[in-house]
Amino acid sequence: MVEENEHSVAAEPSIIARFSHDVVSIESLLKTCYWFSRDFVCEVTEDGAGYSAVSLRPKAPGVSLEGVHDDFMNQALDFALRERVTTKTADIRDLLLAKAFSESGVLEDQPLGMFGDAVEDAKPDSMFKILSNY
Amino acid sequence: MARSFYPLQRFAPIPKQFSLLPFRFTRVDGKELLVNEAGEFIFAPEGTTRSLVDAAIDTQSILYRDLKAKHFIYDETSSALLDVLATKIRTKYDHVMGGTKLHIFVVTLRCEHSCHYCQVSRQTSEKGQFDMSRETADRSLSLMFEAPAPHMTLEFQGGEPMLAFDLIEYIVPRAKAEAQLRGKTLDLVVTTNLACATDEMLTFFRDEGVKVSTSLDGPAFLHNMNRPRPGNDSYERAIDGIERARAILGHENVAALMTTTLASLGHVREIIDEYVKREFHTIFLRPISPYGFAVKTRKRTGYEMNRFLEFYKQGLAHILDINRGGYRLAEIYTQILFTKILTPQGTGYVDLQSPAGEAWNVLVYNYNGDVFASDESRMLAEMNDLTFRLGNVHRDNRRSLFMSEAALKMFEASCNQSLAGCSDCAFQAYCGADPIYHHATQGDMYGHRPTSGFCMRNMEVIKHLFSFIKEDDPQTMGIFWSWITGRPLTVTELACA
Amino acid sequence: MDNGTSPYSYRTRMRLTTTGSARNFSGGIVGRVATQDVPLAFRGQHIRFLARGAEQSVDLAGYRAILSHDDFATDRPIVDRLREADHFRSGDIVVLEGDSGFVRSLYRPYEHHHSLFVTERCNSNCLMCSQPPKDRDDVAALAERNRELIRLMYPAPEYLTITGGEPTLLGDALFDLLEQLKAWLPRTELHILTNGRTFAWPQYASRLGALRHPNLSLGVPLYSDFAGEHDYIVQAEGAFDQTVSGLHQAARNQIRVEVRVVLHRLSIPRLTRLVEYIYRNLTFVEHVALMGLEYVGYTPRNIAELWIDPFDYQDELEKAVQYLSMRNVPVSIYNHQLCVLRPSLWQYARKSISDWKNLYLPECEKCGVLDECGGLFQWAVKKHSEHIHALSKTECWADRVPKP
Repeated sequence: MVEENEHSVAAEPSIIARFSHDVVSIESLLKTCYWFSRDFVCEVTEDGAGYSAVSLRPKAPGVSLEGVHDDFMNQALDFALRERVTTKTADIRDLLLAKAFSESGVLEDQPLGMFGDAVEDAKPDSMFKILSNY
Repeated sequence: MARSFYPLQRFAPIPKQFSLLPFRFTRVDGKELLVNEAGEFIFAPEGTTRSLVDAAIDTQSILYRDLKAKHFIYDETSSALLDVLATKIRTKYDHVMGGTKLHIFVVTLRCEHSCHYCQVSRQTSEKGQFDMSRETADRSLSLMFEAPAPHMTLEFQGGEPMLAFDLIEYIVPRAKAEAQLRGKTLDLVVTTNLACATDEMLTFFRDEGVKVSTSLDGPAFLHNMNRPRPGNDSYERAIDGIERARAILGHENVAALMTTTLASLGHVREIIDEYVKREFHTIFLRPISPYGFAVKTRKRTGYEMNRFLEFYKQGLAHILDINRGGYRLAEIYTQILFTKILTPQGTGYVDLQSPAGEAWNVLVYNYNGDVFASDESRMLAEMNDLTFRLGNVHRDNRRSLFMSEAALKMFEASCNQSLAGCSDCAFQAYCGADPIYHHATQGDMYGHRPTSGFCMRNMEVIKHLFSFIKEDDPQTMGIFWSWITGRPLTVTELACA
Repeated sequence: MDNGTSPYSYRTRMRLTTTGSARNFSGGIVGRVATQDVPLAFRGQHIRFLARGAEQSVDLAGYRAILSHDDFATDRPIVDRLREADHFRSGDIVVLEGDSGFVRSLYRPYEHHHSLFVTERCNSNCLMCSQPPKDRDDVAALAERNRELIRLMYPAPEYLTITGGEPTLLGDALFDLLEQLKAWLPRTELHILTNGRTFAWPQYASRLGALRHPNLSLGVPLYSDFAGEHDYIVQAEGAFDQTVSGLHQAARNQIRVEVRVVLHRLSIPRLTRLVEYIYRNLTFVEHVALMGLEYVGYTPRNIAELWIDPFDYQDELEKAVQYLSMRNVPVSIYNHQLCVLRPSLWQYARKSISDWKNLYLPECEKCGVLDECGGLFQWAVKKHSEHIHALSKTECWADRVPKP
């Protein structure tokens, strides 16, 4: 999935990493690049076959290339993981924030579950209406 | 009719599946740190996030139950108690409710100091040109009380506000009367170097309940270096002012803040010791202000912030030792961050809020009636950058101020939930957004996180605080909790005899 | 039945109920005990008590009823041939039960702890319940009894616990009771022991809030941060969810709440997590009570699952207490003997065992902190820590953490 490539002709060394879109989406790659953009110029190129290549070129002579490749890969995988969490939780997050900021609507519902007192449950006009049983 | 007892399985069946609640994560020291939408966190083994997403976690494990109790996951065997989670989130955003609480009145730009980092003061002693007029003061008060906040603070700033003492005398009773009329509580503060504070002025403050906030940068050599003045006696005057103010207003009504300069960076222990010597119980280790200089190079920002972080960490270690010795001294920024991390509360501290506190929670009424979203944005105006001028008291009302182009542009960049770099950050709930800082230092309100001094500082400090949390030393955490709760130091926190 | 000569009693055990032969009335008669003659104008409230060997020719006109140790011939309402009678004092409020012959002491002014018992019904069934529930609708009968009791309570208690069973099952009757207490004992602080589940119904919580009682709080048990575990301990499905929701509804209606935790083998493992849960999710809780297990009610039946020697859970207890006190949350330890607690925890231990329940073991007689220790429950003779021992005076002072 990943290759390392050093230019033999030009004086600038760089790192190249290649990712399958099934593993890391372009969105996540771009987010990873964003964090590396302090020290690197990042270029992302899609190859049309479901892969993207990212090249990282140091912005200043003093920037070390050691460990950068592994670091980038790990961070990209983490961003891919974050994307999956966000996708799975987007709806419930909207619901939570709507509840959090509504003027009412929080703690307004009748509770679920059983009431559990035999005497009260036996009464035809029980004071506690039960919504659902487990 | 005897009742039966039922086994555990009936009440705690094995869940068939589980769902995720929103959270962010980062890696710390070989563990994963997960933080949920209400700012609750958990240290979990490496690989936890992946196994949550892959639904590969053991649903009968202690970790699973911990994650459920802390609102990271939920399943069909019991209620997700979403209303409780929503309530917790809402509590964190309490600062948004109620509108602007801090109103800063710049009563004059005149000042007799010439601190090199200050961009706002004017050396002329000619009144009128750089003083707030009574008409402007009246209009500012009127605008201030349009805010719905039930509790407000009115802070006098400058220049040196005491040079316009007669205007302070004019404003204070009017502000108090208006607050009483509207059933609001009002705190009054004056930010002053105390160099020209007479006993009569201090007595006025005592009688009117005005608190004093003054500057103490450290021991004499540092303070005087930072704050040149004719006679080079800023420090001596400051100490004299502090003592006189304490004598008249009471010890608890006089606070001190420090300004950090390059010169300060090598002397953190001496600065802290000076605060202890002068019997202060709070200190704020602030980074060097980025305002007032030309936009710094990326490298310089990084370099300076790194040095500040060293300054802060060494300072905090020294402060902890002082507390262990029985002297209570709280570092303000640490206290604010720990409150956000460890308690259900949010913060009223404007610089660490999202939506950003600028304009939402603070308004600055300049001497000429211009209204700014923060004190820093007023300083930018002195350098002809009017990006954050919301309007003018003589032209605008509260609505038009908040609907101004300046305000609307700023609001767009005010929520870290949607800013690049922040939206996925594990520390999002503890951090904030500062569009004015980013505009001033990077030329862009949205900011570029990887090169942002604001990001760098907060991330590093929060990581540092989490290392204390992870270590969980009872004595150290007890000291932090004594700051957070305001309770005294107890036997647990004091060093063994 | 014990007659007071058991080797385990050091302080006199306080009797709560006795029995005798009831005649000439049905239902219950509530009245104030008079061991001497009382002026005619006041006799309507009083029950004339005749001790062993008392004169039979006493003038009994106007009294509500008669209570006699010996046989007594009369056509007035009476319970005589009492099994025990030496615990009755003037001023005690008792109820005479015409159908059973039971004589129950409801209120004794000289005691430190007072409670109002309102029902035996409960919608939970805790494994360690000290008052096992009965599914019999006793609400009306007890309400009538308590109405009269409140009228007679003198002097007004500083503090009154309302307990059962589950008091909220009274429905409207609970609100009637609270209104009466507000009117008759306005300065008495009320503490309702409840599982809190009924407060999950918003209208119930707001009704209690609307009462605006100036001195009311709820004591609500919570046994785990993990719903399934809590539900198992209280033997009720969905109880955790309802209790937590109920606590939130109470807080929303400005009703003060305290959380109680009974410490046993099932609640100890997650105790620190539980207090963390309380701190983050139930921030409004004003006090946490950590309580020792009572060997009574259901507990003996479930003892294999529940028993852990308190001496063996001092680690967990200390961590939980430290967690709360660091965060300035008030916390108390109830029903633990000082010799069994770590000295660092002594400042949190309260003398909480009700006067009618406590005793001390023979080894306690020589203990240096006997006066400050709450002692044990009377049923602890059957089951208590292996580590009860007398503390020498020097031990006490060397390790002692000063009270705050």
